[in-house]
Amino acid sequence: MIGVEHELGSFTVTEEAIASYCEALGETNPLYLDEEFARATSYGGRIAPPLIFTTANFRGTGPDPQVEYGNARFLGGERVEVLEPMRPGDTITAYGQVTEVYEKTGRSGKMVFVVRRTRYENQNGRDVALVDSSMVHREIEA
Amino acid sequence: MSPGAPEQRYFDDAELGDEFEESYLARPELVATYLSVSRGNAELNEEDGRFSDAAGAQALGLERPIVPGVMSLSIITRLVTDWAGPAGRLRTLDANFRRPVLHGDRLRLMALVTDASDESGAGRVTLDIYLENERGERPLQGTAVVELPHRPS
Repeated sequence: MIGVEHELGSFTVTEEAIASYCEALGETNPLYLDEEFARATSYGGRIAPPLIFTTANFRGTGPDPQVEYGNARFLGGERVEVLEPMRPGDTITAYGQVTEVYEKTGRSGKMVFVVRRTRYENQNGRDVALVDSSMVHREIEA
Repeated sequence: MSPGAPEQRYFDDAELGDEFEESYLARPELVATYLSVSRGNAELNEEDGRFSDAAGAQALGLERPIVPGVMSLSIITRLVTDWAGPAGRLRTLDANFRRPVLHGDRLRLMALVTDASDESGAGRVTLDIYLENERGERPLQGTAVVELPHRPS
């Protein structure tokens, strides 16, 4: 399973998604919200905020390394490489793979790390972002 | 210029040690708006409880519901892209999540210029980035690399 890429699903970058995402972040940058302003920039039109793909929800899809440890999991780290802008109306397809699974013991006890790479590709077959994320599985006392 | 338009930042003006910051209040309704983009009309599932309700959070030993880690990353990204201006380009972000951001936390979004290099015409600036809460803790810290244009002569 390690290193085998699977298609996770697709999403469309809608006007509504951009507006809600900007509202949630307090983002008022007209590059994302004002077509007239954006047309005069080097982008030639509006783009989506670069991390809008973080709202894509592909939970339950893709390879599962079957980690049976802990009662909680948290995002431990994320590395994002932004390759090309996403624009309103784009359809983005995500491809994911598990790149590493390892165990570590720290002051708070044992943790299992699952590292995944997700590649986001637009409708023209061009990669727009690469993301390496590390999910930490651990036991937590409520 | 459109209201809310960030000023253009030029590579020539970026100095090592430059610091900049903004603030953000993690209001529950903003977290709900963020989740609505990703979950649409689907009901939140059990795992989402930690992001949305006290019981879900307490089941994990958390004092209050938390902000999704990817939303915290988006929050700090806003600081970087607004600083870079419309012709600036975010290239990479590398972040570690040290502790959760809780609903209601007032955050300082902070960045510090740590490197600037001119590679084949593209001015690359490296920033240390972090979020700091009102308890002085840093739930997220990392680095960002942006490309900035040169000031027109």
